[in-house]
Amino acid sequence: MKISGSYTLPVAPERAYQILQDPAILARAMPGCESLEKIGPDEYRMKMKVLLAALSGEFEGKMRIADQAPPTSFRLIVEGSGRIGFLKGDGLLKLAPAATVRVLSAAPSEPPETIVSYEGDAQVGGTMAAVGQRLIDGTSKMMIKKFFDKLASLATDQRDS
Amino acid sequence: MATTTTKTETFVGKRVRRREDPRLITGTATYVEDIQMPGMHYAVILRSPHAAARIRSIKAKQAEAAPGVVCVFTGKDTKGVGVVPCGIAMPDLRVPQHNILATDRVYFVGHPVAVVVARDRYLARDAAELIEVDYDILPAVADPEKALTKGAPAVHPQWPDNIAFTYHQDGGNVDKVFAEADVVVKQRIVSQRLVPMAMETRGVVAEWRGADRQLNLYTSTQIPHLVRTLVAGMLGLEENRTRVIAPEVGGGFGSKLNVYAEEALMGFVSMRIQKPVKWIESRRENFTCTTHGRGHVDYYEIAAKRDGTILGIKLKLIQDVGAYHQLLTPLIPQLSVLMMPGLYNTQNIRADIVGVFTNCVPTDAYRGAGRPEATHGIERMVDILAAELKMDPAQIRLKNFVTKDKFPYATATGLMYDSGDYAAPLKKALDLVGYVKLRQEQADLRKQGKYMGIGISTYGEICAIGPSPATPAGGWESATVKIEPSGKITILTGACPHGQGEETTFAQIAADELGVGLDDILVTRGDTAVVQYGIGTFGSRATAVGGTALYYALQDLKAKIKKFGAMLLESDDVTLVGGQVVCDKTGKAKPLREIAGASYRALKLPPNTEPGLIATRFWEPPNFTFPFGAHIVVTDIDSETGQIKVRRYVAVDDCGNILNPLIVDGQVHGGVAQGLGQALWEQAVYDDNGQLITGELTDYALPRAHLMPWIESHHTCTPSPVNPLGVKGVGEAGTIGCSPAVVNSAVDALSPLGVRHIDMPLTPEKIWKLLAKKN
Repeated sequence: MKISGSYTLPVAPERAYQILQDPAILARAMPGCESLEKIGPDEYRMKMKVLLAALSGEFEGKMRIADQAPPTSFRLIVEGSGRIGFLKGDGLLKLAPAATVRVLSAAPSEPPETIVSYEGDAQVGGTMAAVGQRLIDGTSKMMIKKFFDKLASLATDQRDS
Repeated sequence: MATTTTKTETFVGKRVRRREDPRLITGTATYVEDIQMPGMHYAVILRSPHAAARIRSIKAKQAEAAPGVVCVFTGKDTKGVGVVPCGIAMPDLRVPQHNILATDRVYFVGHPVAVVVARDRYLARDAAELIEVDYDILPAVADPEKALTKGAPAVHPQWPDNIAFTYHQDGGNVDKVFAEADVVVKQRIVSQRLVPMAMETRGVVAEWRGADRQLNLYTSTQIPHLVRTLVAGMLGLEENRTRVIAPEVGGGFGSKLNVYAEEALMGFVSMRIQKPVKWIESRRENFTCTTHGRGHVDYYEIAAKRDGTILGIKLKLIQDVGAYHQLLTPLIPQLSVLMMPGLYNTQNIRADIVGVFTNCVPTDAYRGAGRPEATHGIERMVDILAAELKMDPAQIRLKNFVTKDKFPYATATGLMYDSGDYAAPLKKALDLVGYVKLRQEQADLRKQGKYMGIGISTYGEICAIGPSPATPAGGWESATVKIEPSGKITILTGACPHGQGEETTFAQIAADELGVGLDDILVTRGDTAVVQYGIGTFGSRATAVGGTALYYALQDLKAKIKKFGAMLLESDDVTLVGGQVVCDKTGKAKPLREIAGASYRALKLPPNTEPGLIATRFWEPPNFTFPFGAHIVVTDIDSETGQIKVRRYVAVDDCGNILNPLIVDGQVHGGVAQGLGQALWEQAVYDDNGQLITGELTDYALPRAHLMPWIESHHTCTPSPVNPLGVKGVGEAGTIGCSPAVVNSAVDALSPLGVRHIDMPLTPEKIWKLLAKKN
């Protein structure tokens, strides 16, 4: 399954890049995330609860960050499995300042923004694939949106504080 | 001739209600799941979520320590158990080692990896989740055509081309007729993977009695004796100390014509824990672990003269094998090839089969097993040819049928069609449906821009499977008839039924032969400790082969009854009629009850005669039988939604003599339902990674009652000369006749748009897209 999209975060690229790799913030932003701990350089172990229609279950997995090119891009590799199946994903996240398009109209005090665009491949297996196939696409989109919404609010909170 | 009061009511040929139904419809039948035993434990099987992966490690400590868990077994523990058998031998057949639990690698989603045994099934299930399997995921391939391409992932690393077997058959002079033909039509036709979906999933109860060194195995199977022989072999047990019992079996459709890993696995577990153990397959497991059916990609070519005479047929058949061969996997496409000329008179055929390994659950027999695929192919091709030549599809069939004076008819594929009058059911069906009028109506509707189609399918099939030299196990069947001292009659049939109504039809046969009532007769089956060796029920064989064994056992018994009757009546001129032996001269009579009592009491015996009234026969059929028929389907297509509505379904089936029209109707109805399922709705879909994405009934569209059309079931009767009952078999006819009639009807409806072929299932989406593209 191909996953792609973009989201605008209300922070500058440098800051966006930083929060996208901050375990404490990610743990709070990821829907259903129960724990996220660093187990090595750019490698994390996580536990999350997934709800897919009538299916629910805990996933345990690993998240790895590769090809780091701050503050413009990095690759995210996710692998998890649980009672209701397994999940494998590999995606590229690109960060670009949003200001360029607004430079003329925007007031000088306009806060900086970053467009995060992502593109990747996800594989889903087990019961989740057999039973929830038709719902996976919608659910994953919803989860990604929830993630960024939360991330955006966390980023703003922290900036304000 | 003297006269006596005799019972004159006969049962054969009458709509006798099924004697098994009361217990089935009141929920009081005993299935595997209903079996309870003291000390029973429950097994849950952990299965692979990956289609292809190496197993790095399995950690079961946590599961073993979970509450209620007795033990966990993995592939390391079961290495001593024999492999899951493939019953087919053919040159160059590649048979991968099929262990009952995966050892170092998994090959399909659902591959059994470990078994958890607990005192409660819920605890077992919870514990299964605690097993940690470290998989190294490998690339998988789920599409048989992709599997054949260069560079495709190898399902079994030792065979990088993924070819499981090839098979070639040639008859006549194909090259010559194709070179000389006026017209050659070609088409790729897919017969999609289907899930057989018996209402009762599989299930096994194993009870090891250590003190007796005996294993009792209750399993939901169509072939208890073959399971006994093969599972005993896998477990290294003596066959005479292995007892297999198939209690009530809630449907099989070929998916229980097999020997499964779980049958041996439960035997193994019970022997290890010294306790009875039960495993019941969940519906989700059934989707991924019980054999699928069909899975063909066929490339057809037909050569013909301009007048519609068929000259020859070529077929390249790609069979999706799945990851392993189950019991009969490689045989199924060969049955397609045997049947590929259909009812048509051509001696020029060429077929090339290639069986392809994929990372999917194995395919095997499913209602019709190879013959629905073949019939779908030839019947679609004949319609495509008719369209090409602008001929009427009924006329082109009538022109090419093997005519009724040609029987027995030797086909180019090596069969000998026993008897037939192929034009009769087609003509009858055309009359019943009002063909000429319908064509006029169709022309009128087309002017209004409406899509109505008339689809014809004329099928033949191979039934009463079959002569032993032509079958993988024996092809005979057995029957024992016992008349007890009280005169009550017990029939033991080796053809273990799973919904075919043999408790009724076999009682009908015996009641008429002996002149007794149905209530005097009990038909027993399914327990290898009670019933003599038998082959089982599949391939529309139970009545034609098992019923014939019964018929001959009854003849033996009748002769013996007459001997005892003659002795008791002190006359040599006696007749067995109406449940008694009557002296032709005096009219004196001895009822069966008295004769039976005398035969066991044995105060006096007729010359050269043993006490008792028991007869057993094993009947070897000299040939298959070849039923045939014509199905006509009228459809209306909603041009806005693409929905196909079946307006009329006329089935004229010729299955030889009919013993019970009610049961025959039931078989036709059920068969048509499954045929409609394939034609319109059902499809087992694997994604590119080998994940079954139609793994539940929300995604796998099984026919529902409200979707079924009214089936107008009619018959012609051409008795079979192969057996004394003159029966042919009807278990699969509905399925075989159905799918091409439905697709032909839809293509006929859409032909003004230039549509020539549509692959099944004909979902509204598919039809809507065709309509949208052309409009």
